[in-house]
Amino acid sequence: MNILSRKEKEELRQVLMPLVDDLHRVALSFCHDENAAEELVAATVGKACESYRSLKDRSRIKPWLLRILSNMFISQQRTKARHPHVEYDEIENDKQNQFSLFEQISQPFLLWWGNPEREIMNKFLDEDIQKAIESLPAEFRIAVVLSDVEGMRYQEIANILQIPLGTVRSRLARGRSLLQKKLWHHAQDLGIILRKAHRHETIQTQHSTH
Amino acid sequence: MKQSKRSIQPISCEEALSRVFDFIDDHLRGKARIELEHHLETCRHCFDRVEFERLLKSRLRKLNVNVHSQKVRKRVETLLDQF
Ligand SMILES: [Zn+2]
Repeated sequence: MNILSRKEKEELRQVLMPLVDDLHRVALSFCHDENAAEELVAATVGKACESYRSLKDRSRIKPWLLRILSNMFISQQRTKARHPHVEYDEIENDKQNQFSLFEQISQPFLLWWGNPEREIMNKFLDEDIQKAIESLPAEFRIAVVLSDVEGMRYQEIANILQIPLGTVRSRLARGRSLLQKKLWHHAQDLGIILRKAHRHETIQTQHSTH
Repeated sequence: MKQSKRSIQPISCEEALSRVFDFIDDHLRGKARIELEHHLETCRHCFDRVEFERLLKSRLRKLNVNVHSQKVRKRVETLLDQF
């Protein structure tokens, strides 16, 4: 049943091969591991071959492949159980969507002479940011990667994942919030930012000396 | 111009911050965008927040590297042959 005809296979090959680099790049952004990314691409292609006949509009092959890739990634992550399925609601403006690294590090009374937010950001290595992305549960990681790493618009992401625009927005908000929280903890671990209690004391001291 | 500027409703920082991501993602249009832009002209805190979010977003964008792997292409070719 699943075996493609010679003609279908040739057709799939022609549209798929130019997209392999794209799939590979997105897979790498999802898992940041060469072997895992290759496996993800292979699983995606396998699934694409199996269900190619169900693809009605063949001009939409790219979002279709990216949807398979995303779903494959989600199920792989669940199997690995490193990120067991997290219960989350998709309500917009949820309080948990609101963690802001900026609000944590901005120091209003220092604004006159310097830009601490920018300086702190410069201290993060690409590796730090990549690790923060990797810490995100799959659904949020996908939203952040497609939007911020790949540079896609909400509508494109909604088409790929077949979810409403509002869901794209809320997943992205939650993903960014979690990402910034991770960076905040990481910055504290690295000593880029003083721990809160300590920092508070420092601020008090600086205040009293002025 | 002055007249139209005066007719812009001022928005609170809270309202402004709720529009920051739509703004940096270029999804904010019309009145909502004009109100925010006007707020950013007068509020240093929200202006800095927008700059910060833009900076972080640009750091993520830079993680996007072009890949071209013969190994992966070969693997895909082989897979296609099997079907
Ligand atoms: Zn403001």
